[in-house]
Amino acid sequence: MSAYLPVLIFAVLIVAFGVVSLAVARLARPSRPDVVKLANYECGAEPIGPAWVRFPVGFYLVALLFIIFDTLAVFLFPWALVLKPLGLSAFWVMAAFIGIVGLGWIYAYREGVLEWK
Amino acid sequence: MIAFALEIGVGALMLLVFIATLVARGDDRRWVGWLAAAGTLALTLLALPLSPAPAQLGGAFVQDGLALFAKRLFLAATFIGLLGGLSLPGRPFLRRAGEYHILVLASLLGMLVLASARDLVLLFVAFELMSIPLYILAGFAKREAGAVEAALKFFLVGSVSSAVMAYGLSFVYGAVRTTSLAGVAKAMPDGDGLLILGLLAVFGGFGFKIAAFPFHMWVPDTYEAAPTPFVAWLSVTPKAAGFVALFRVYFEGMGTAVSFWVPVAAGLATLTIVAGNLMALPQQNAKRLLAYSGIAHIGYMLVGFAATSASGTAMVLFYLVAYVFGNMGAFLVVEAVARSEGSEHLAAFRGLAQRSPLLALAMLLFLLSLGGIPFVAGFWAKLYVFWAAATAGLYWLVLLGALLTVVALFYYLIVAKRMYIEAPPATTRVPLEPMLALAVLLCALGVVILGVYPKPLVMAALRVAAPLF
Amino acid sequence: MIPESWYLALSAVLFTIGVVGVVIRRNPLVIFMSIELALNAANLALVAFGQRTGSPDGQALVFFVMAVAAAEVAVGLAIIVAIFRVRQRLSVDELSMMRW
Repeated sequence: MSAYLPVLIFAVLIVAFGVVSLAVARLARPSRPDVVKLANYECGAEPIGPAWVRFPVGFYLVALLFIIFDTLAVFLFPWALVLKPLGLSAFWVMAAFIGIVGLGWIYAYREGVLEWK
Repeated sequence: MIAFALEIGVGALMLLVFIATLVARGDDRRWVGWLAAAGTLALTLLALPLSPAPAQLGGAFVQDGLALFAKRLFLAATFIGLLGGLSLPGRPFLRRAGEYHILVLASLLGMLVLASARDLVLLFVAFELMSIPLYILAGFAKREAGAVEAALKFFLVGSVSSAVMAYGLSFVYGAVRTTSLAGVAKAMPDGDGLLILGLLAVFGGFGFKIAAFPFHMWVPDTYEAAPTPFVAWLSVTPKAAGFVALFRVYFEGMGTAVSFWVPVAAGLATLTIVAGNLMALPQQNAKRLLAYSGIAHIGYMLVGFAATSASGTAMVLFYLVAYVFGNMGAFLVVEAVARSEGSEHLAAFRGLAQRSPLLALAMLLFLLSLGGIPFVAGFWAKLYVFWAAATAGLYWLVLLGALLTVVALFYYLIVAKRMYIEAPPATTRVPLEPMLALAVLLCALGVVILGVYPKPLVMAALRVAAPLF
Repeated sequence: MIPESWYLALSAVLFTIGVVGVVIRRNPLVIFMSIELALNAANLALVAFGQRTGSPDGQALVFFVMAVAAAEVAVGLAIIVAIFRVRQRLSVDELSMMRW
């Protein structure tokens, strides 16, 4: 049973984090309710309506970039687990990999993909 | 490190072209392409004196004779393809020349690794590295509806084939418990059902990429809509890479178990030859004609594959070289004519012999080579492939192939008739950019030299194919 | 412990759904999702087989299949966006070039 103790501690911490941040925010912020502020927020899309709406194409471009870094993380996790026994060579291999992804990002930036149109 | 020399070279070239792309300003950035073409030429020359090196990465990467043979071919073909594309008109090619060339080089890198891959993981990754840039390149003119639609079709078919291949690989892995191809070859004689099923699915995946018959439907539309110099390259190099990978997966180290693939390959070859040739007959668009005739050529190469012997493999390698020169050359001539006439219809070739005799002669050579007329490369290619198949006892396949070669001659000669007999619509010469002309010339030289003196290449192909069996 | 055959059966079902989806659906986005499903079926089979062998090879292959799938998503979405920009509508039937 003691194996589940960390899980319990994490569960308490997670709940506490939510409660404490909301409580602190409530105490610290000024209260100026507004119709727009009270509306559900959905990343720039109309929050209420049919599910089949047109999304601005800009979302797709950002999503493409997101996918690339998402996949980078897929390789980072197993790499981080075995980094110690493999040593410095594994570090440089990953550095090169991240560098290549970074080059792609630089090109996307140069082409103005990140500017919201 | 010497084993990776070419791969590192292409990677470095990509980096160089990338930096040039970042630096480039203005609306005409085609000079970046010159950099890529020059680099590819340098790497081609570098590849010539290379000799086989010991296996790397625990046997996953081998730089043997077959790999080197294939890599020289890929590099040379890419150089010619880049030459032909240097003067591509149109805004996307002026402004986004860097992207175009980096993508071609990325695909080339995939092919180089594929030729050396002896492990399923490396094989799959290399295969996709080769394929994915091709989808983008097919739709490179992204403001043209036809180009992006063809790219979508190419992409959907290609991704399905990747999924089928990945699923097949999972079965192969489940059956042999290792991802090394040596392990697969060792397990093959036991004839485990799961392994056979997996390898058949992988064969289907390859079938899409080399455009064998039931998996060919993306070819004509993609070829028709994509930029022609790219199509010239697309129609030969990925196919060559696919065949080399087929040899690695299905032949290398399998011993007598290779005979299992004879009915599969022979059946696929029959379908592909018949379908490709018959569908080429009614075509009136030069690019669609070459697309269907290219499918037929894949069928002829599958005949050599069906021989499942060292000589069959070697003859397919020779066929690939002949096909690279003949098919690329024909597409590049189509590009030259289409640029002048604004049409890829066969009617655009009317009276070409009177307008530009040399260009027409080059086209005639390519057509004769593709048709298999003596003293150009394609004749020996067909003869050797048929000979290898006959040695393996596949007489009916040889007979069928020979019969349909006659059909093929018919549609090739229709183009020749348009060029030489029909009256030209105008008497002006067809303008020809110097680099495109050089690319056509290189292809014509290849076709003629291999046609007159095929022996050294045949010997080299036999030498590199022998260790597979 | 769930037996391996269950995973394989689920993977076969996923793959079949994917392939059928590619064949019968007409919207490129849905076809595309079906392809992803088929790729993930392959992943599931690889992991299931890898569990039996106890070697990490199969799982390593899964990582690469995922990376390849992501690259395909990026390219595929880009092509679909490009088509949408050119044509303003999206159905395979309406694409004249998509005759099989």
